[in-house]
Amino acid sequence: MRAFTLVGFLAFILVLSACSSESGGNGGDSEASEDSVTLTIGSWRTEDKASYQKVIDKFNEENPDINIEFKPSKNTEYNTILNTSLQSGEGPDILHLRPYAPGIELADAGYLEPLDGLEGLDQYPEETLAASKGSDDKQYGVPLNISTTQMFYNKQIFEDLGLEEPQTWEEFMTLNETLMDEGITPISLGTKEGWLLSLSHGIFGPAHYGGNEFVEKITAGESDFTSEEFQSSIEAMDELKQFFPENYEGLGMEDIRTMFFTGDVAMFPLGSWEIEVLREMNPELELGFFPMPSAVGKDPTITTWVDGSYAINANSEHKDAAKKFLQFMTTEEFGTMFTEEFKMISAIPGIESEDQLVNDLGKAVEEQSTPYMMLVHFSGGNPSTKATIETELQGMYLGERTPEEVANAVQESAKSWYEPLQ
Amino acid sequence: MKPAMNSVVKIKKQRDWKRWTIHLFPIPALIIYGLFIVYPLFAALTYSFFDWKGIVRGEFVGLKNFRDLFTLEPFSGLFWNAFGHNILYFVLQMIFQNGLAFILAYIIYKKVKGSEFLKIAYFLPRLLSVIVVGFLWKLILNPNYGALNVILEKLGLEQLQKAWLGDPDTALISIILVNCWYGIGFGVLIFLAGLQSIPKELFEAGKLDGADGFSMIRKIVLPLMVPSFMIMTVLTFIQSFEAFELVYAMQGSQGEPYHSTDTLAVYFYRLAFGGSAGGSTTAVGLGSALAVVLFLFISFFTALYLRYMQKKQVDM
Repeated sequence: MRAFTLVGFLAFILVLSACSSESGGNGGDSEASEDSVTLTIGSWRTEDKASYQKVIDKFNEENPDINIEFKPSKNTEYNTILNTSLQSGEGPDILHLRPYAPGIELADAGYLEPLDGLEGLDQYPEETLAASKGSDDKQYGVPLNISTTQMFYNKQIFEDLGLEEPQTWEEFMTLNETLMDEGITPISLGTKEGWLLSLSHGIFGPAHYGGNEFVEKITAGESDFTSEEFQSSIEAMDELKQFFPENYEGLGMEDIRTMFFTGDVAMFPLGSWEIEVLREMNPELELGFFPMPSAVGKDPTITTWVDGSYAINANSEHKDAAKKFLQFMTTEEFGTMFTEEFKMISAIPGIESEDQLVNDLGKAVEEQSTPYMMLVHFSGGNPSTKATIETELQGMYLGERTPEEVANAVQESAKSWYEPLQ
Repeated sequence: MKPAMNSVVKIKKQRDWKRWTIHLFPIPALIIYGLFIVYPLFAALTYSFFDWKGIVRGEFVGLKNFRDLFTLEPFSGLFWNAFGHNILYFVLQMIFQNGLAFILAYIIYKKVKGSEFLKIAYFLPRLLSVIVVGFLWKLILNPNYGALNVILEKLGLEQLQKAWLGDPDTALISIILVNCWYGIGFGVLIFLAGLQSIPKELFEAGKLDGADGFSMIRKIVLPLMVPSFMIMTVLTFIQSFEAFELVYAMQGSQGEPYHSTDTLAVYFYRLAFGGSAGGSTTAVGLGSALAVVLFLFISFFTALYLRYMQKKQVDM
């Protein structure tokens, strides 16, 4: 009998979610006041529930008639739950939209309401808006936050050894050598989980392919992944493995984080969302970061992308109320609150943070940002090009692939769906 | 006369009513079965005939998804790769889980000291949720602080230390062996029940005929254990080809590292739902096609095997 259950997994979840999801629209009917409505927000940020409540309370000061429930689901299951509930004509009124291809997929499928004429959208830079712009060129999401990846480092270790933030790739490599000589593992990275590899390529890659210029060229179809620039970025990834911890092929996210915050490893190439976690795990840790210095004579880079936007369900019965909340999400008031509460970089330009590190990161983003190319431009296809580079790099670290083969496989994958490269 | 007739009719009527009500009892089960098993089965079948744009159903494409699954790279390569892993799953489980389970069951049956305790001890892992088992073993197999490598170091066997779950040579085998550890208690129970149902007289008769321990096992125990072996083989077969939970718990949905732990069910999950990593695309049509293929494969071979074994049993 169990054979059936697997086959039916797909539709089973569909039925389940249809049964259990309360449509946000119906909730408001029983309210005492006729004008009051209840909106639900779907998200994958279960850890942010308390902070969102504060945001909602703030919103309610001016809009007491709109009740809002923040109802997140587990990160890894959010897509499935959201997709199936949207398919059955339900789902939350406001939804946290994955950036780029997977989110735009929903917009193109007609599940989202275009945000034509929403005030405040014009303040965002074009690349920020691109994260939730449909193929019809309409805007479907209000960008929430900018995520960044860069090299974090343990200030204490650097200070003890008299090391400084590197300004060129050569200095970076010397720094690694010095740390090795002192018996400290330089870079906390493991290759067991593929997503860490596309992510770290996002950090180290621009230093070799030359940042934004190459991104512009490849998205215009003037260069490709077999080019020397790109191949050298894969070779650099290969070369760095000598600075990874022992048994790096068996280490996952939690292992490398632990090694970094306990001070066993000096540097940690990861994303801005780790700042809070690291501080919580080790409040003593003196955390610093530096933009990745270039190997080809360009400026150092901070890798950025929009990590989520908020969109309105086309099936919502309270689109006007939902628009009001999205409008609120474009205000400076919200941006400031968001930065303070969530310790993340707001997508709204020019928001200052009281947290020194977050503030510095925000400044660096405005001056030295380069897109996380695999996520922003190449997360389409099936398997996606981003997934392909993850698997291929894993193969390279296991000695089954040469950097050249990795680059060729990435090119093959991109060619299969990305028009400018066809 | 008359009153007696009446009561006979009454009893008969009652009986009819009772017989009739019997048919009502399966209804709740049938509804649940239909809703959660039969309906999804046909839903998956219909899904597999369509082209999908993300999560939106596109045109009817007939068998194209099936053809792509078997002929279009990288899908076909990944399919056969995962298929091979399922076969390995089955073979290793038959050897390590069921083979060992039989030996252990026989030892318990022979009433060694502490056999009551052993019976429970072997079944203990089964009481844990698969997710807990996966998490536990992930910790034990951790290359840097995991118990296994630490023990190897203490024993002076550093050269055997490995990144167990990060090395494609050992990752899948580690997971399968954990699965064996998890499933062995169930096998012991089934085999023990089989052993205990062998009439004692047969052993006595065997003794009189001069059979020693080994030929007793070969001539009396094994033939009479055929039904138990049959059950365990079918269950192991189905379970091996559905292997998902433990792989997912220990390695996630990407079949990492480098597709070395992909099973058909994990591959299905990734195709249909886009994997566990936040934003990835889905291929619902291909996923459904894979699910249908998997279903047909499992049902075909299970039916074939059961029919063959039943015949064999009758022959004996």
